[in-house]
Amino acid sequence: MRGVVKEYGTRQARVRALDGVSTDFPAGSWTAVMGPSGSGKSTLLHCAAGLEVVTSGQVRIGELDITTSSDAELTALRRRQIGFVFQSFNLLGSLTAGQNVALPLKLAGVRVSAREVRDVLAGVGLADRIRHRPRELSGGQQQRVAIARAMVTRPAVLFADEPTGALDSKSARVVLDLLRDMVDSDGQTIVMVTHDPAVAASADQVVFLSDGRIVDRTAGLNAHGVAERLAALED
Amino acid sequence: MLRLSFNTFAERWPLFTGAILTVATGVALVQSSLLILVSAATQDLPPGLDPGAEAQMRDAYEGAVSLLGITLGIAYVLAIFIVSSTFAFTVAQRRRDLALLRLVGGSRGQLRRLLLSEALLLALFGSAIGVPLGILAEEAQSRLLVVLELIPPGFSAQWHDWILAVSFGVGIGVALTGVFAASRRAATVRPLDALRDVGDAARVMTAGRWIVGLLFTGGAVAMAIVSAHAPPEGAIALSANIALVGAIGLSMLSPLLVPLVGRAVGLVLRGTTLGGLAAANLRDAVRRTASTAAPLIVLSGLLIGLTGTLLSISNGIEEEQARDIAGDLVVTSTAEETARIASIPGVAAASAQTPVTVTLIERYPDGEGGEAVEREDTGFLAMDPAAYQQTHTRTPAAGSLDDLHGETVVVERGFNGHEVGDTIEASVAGREVTLRVVAVFDSSLSYDGFLLPRDLVSDEQLAQAPTQTIVRIAAGTDVDAVSMEIRAAGLGEVYTVAESISRAKSAQDDLNWRINAVIMGLSGLYALIAVINSVVIATSERKTEFAVARLSGLSRAQVLRMAFIESWAVATIALLLSGLAAGAALLGIRAAIDRLVGVPIAVVPWTMTAVVVAGSFLVVGAATLCTAAVATRPRPTTLATARE
Ligand SMILES: Nc1ncnc2c1ncn2[C@@H]1O[C@H](COP(=O)(O)OP(=O)(O)O)[C@@H](O)[C@H]1O
Ligand SMILES: [Mg+2]
Repeated sequence: MRGVVKEYGTRQARVRALDGVSTDFPAGSWTAVMGPSGSGKSTLLHCAAGLEVVTSGQVRIGELDITTSSDAELTALRRRQIGFVFQSFNLLGSLTAGQNVALPLKLAGVRVSAREVRDVLAGVGLADRIRHRPRELSGGQQQRVAIARAMVTRPAVLFADEPTGALDSKSARVVLDLLRDMVDSDGQTIVMVTHDPAVAASADQVVFLSDGRIVDRTAGLNAHGVAERLAALED
Repeated sequence: MLRLSFNTFAERWPLFTGAILTVATGVALVQSSLLILVSAATQDLPPGLDPGAEAQMRDAYEGAVSLLGITLGIAYVLAIFIVSSTFAFTVAQRRRDLALLRLVGGSRGQLRRLLLSEALLLALFGSAIGVPLGILAEEAQSRLLVVLELIPPGFSAQWHDWILAVSFGVGIGVALTGVFAASRRAATVRPLDALRDVGDAARVMTAGRWIVGLLFTGGAVAMAIVSAHAPPEGAIALSANIALVGAIGLSMLSPLLVPLVGRAVGLVLRGTTLGGLAAANLRDAVRRTASTAAPLIVLSGLLIGLTGTLLSISNGIEEEQARDIAGDLVVTSTAEETARIASIPGVAAASAQTPVTVTLIERYPDGEGGEAVEREDTGFLAMDPAAYQQTHTRTPAAGSLDDLHGETVVVERGFNGHEVGDTIEASVAGREVTLRVVAVFDSSLSYDGFLLPRDLVSDEQLAQAPTQTIVRIAAGTDVDAVSMEIRAAGLGEVYTVAESISRAKSAQDDLNWRINAVIMGLSGLYALIAVINSVVIATSERKTEFAVARLSGLSRAQVLRMAFIESWAVATIALLLSGLAAGAALLGIRAAIDRLVGVPIAVVPWTMTAVVVAGSFLVVGAATLCTAAVATRPRPTTLATARE
């Protein structure tokens, strides 16, 4: 991202959510974005993933400049290169877990075998829930289905916004371990937004955001270290 | 992809069942109206009728055909409007699901294809149910026509195989039309919207809504203005059109009114938590509110507009007759007795008028060197010009009634464009004659300016025909005494002119009521189904919202009450707008009557209005309460925590 500015609203009610953000998310590593509520974390993620149009600046994923991409190019990008996981799990309530997982491939016109779907769900420990509807699953299980759905297309980058935000600490741990595994064994890139220092500490590096600007970055801190940096920011 | 639709169907069956239902009933209604219309237009008359009876029956069928034309037109427009708005609503309700599809890699084209193929499937289902339903509707509609004596008793509607193509074509075409624009809009949904609870607050007044809304509302206003110059025979159709088109236009613009009514509800129920919640919900769900109100706007607009139009017409006719008749008594009898009325002492003038059906014959080259003949029946009055002029104040706009002898005729202006001196080929009482137009009246509401001389028809043929004689009493003679005398002579029923006019008005009102029943019978039922349907769809879609409300502390009863308050606000919006549409129709008919009769008459149908208002609140309120009760039956936690 180079000099990204994002403003919301018109004249009187203008909010500058991102104010000249420049950063890289190195391939094959896990970056956490931290900051107080309202600091622009989600906005950063949306702009980085091409879900939101930036006001000015440039965003590139690999070689592609997504600030000038057409809708068709962005759709193709979502099919092959990037995946999403959000705090509210965003599964289709009318489809079973297995169908939710198979959906991205089906939309991309790829034939999916039941076996493939089962394998991916087994990867997140839900092999026996393939025929359950989202509402029959716990929050942690729904989030794991969402991760399985994001993984099934083997995206180069996974964007996650507070993926553990709605989970208890035990479910959160399971989800974080899954993400760690994706980075370590599949070499995927993860950009994750969180406000929880303990969660951020799982990442390879942490970017701190305040009032729409990047104010700090660190690598290799434990939860305690991250919490101290955050506290310093909020003062 | 269609697997998604099937699963969605299981999940949101009221939404999809509602869509199928509107297609099925709409197809049934159009199919039945069209078959009956075609059957009435091509009906073979029973053999062996004498010429007079045959002409009368043909006239009855012609009347039925023009009535059925209006019925079919309304049914068709209603079907288009209701089906397309229901389908558009089903699409709008699924914005979040669609955004989610975009998020996981669905293209715009895929979304559109999904929605269109879904609509196609629903429409196929709906049409398949609609065809047999249409046969039942046809049965009901034919029986209604016969019972109300608006079509001859022997009538039966015929089945035509081509109707299958029409029914499926209408069902599918109308559904796809409705989804087409909606799917285009839905395809532009941003993937990010899956994350936000955008509800449907996002721009309701789309360009399409503005265009259709302004076009239709403007069209209704234009028609109301044109009404002043329209021929009287088109008045009912025009008025129904104004109400229908105006109601559709205003229902498109109704989102503009929703926030205002929301604020009004907030004001009226100031201080109550539920009132505040209901007001906020109304403002937040403008599209849902507008979609729910739409069929009710059209139904009540049509009912009030049409009833008001018919009442205004019968009042206009009453006014016209009171102005035209310059007599004291009216005697009804057969033509035979009328000759003796004039000889009763004290009678200054007696003008007998016997209805005679005249068959106009039009010949034109058929394109193959031969000649095609078309016959059209029109009601005339056989009378004596001298007596007529002594008992009527009406004078022709051109020509003179004094020339009405032999093969001559008087018509009203606008009748096939005939002027004084024109000739008309016709068959009168089985005899072909060439009639010369000797005078032309201005057009009237009651069509009683079509006259022919009594001597054109033989006495034998007229003898048994029902006849009205308008009697003027000589100055200084007691009206009651003459009246007694005529009655005593056994010459027929005697009424004062005022009595006679009011009897005619009752007969006219009765006829109007029957016309109303035919036009609005099945169409009204259809629109009523659509009203209930839209309420059920909208309310059952709020399951999760209700659950969240209960988790935030509302009891089930409070949720029901909140939904009820909202439903009455929706009904209020619908009634206000339908009142405007009906008002435009009444202004139109008022201008028409003003031109024809010289007095601006518009009757507000208070009884019908009261019935419609009470019925609307009752139906909408009850349907909302029932659906909300069902939607809140599951424990709230199971719904609200399923954040999917
Ligand atoms: N769609 C939007 N419209 C207007 N303002 C927005 C919108 N999304 C976010 N904002 C504003 O941008 C700022 C940053 O928001 P966000 O990125 O969601 O913060 P965070 O995720 O760090 O809590 C906030 O002030 C928020 O109010
Ligand atoms: Mg956020």
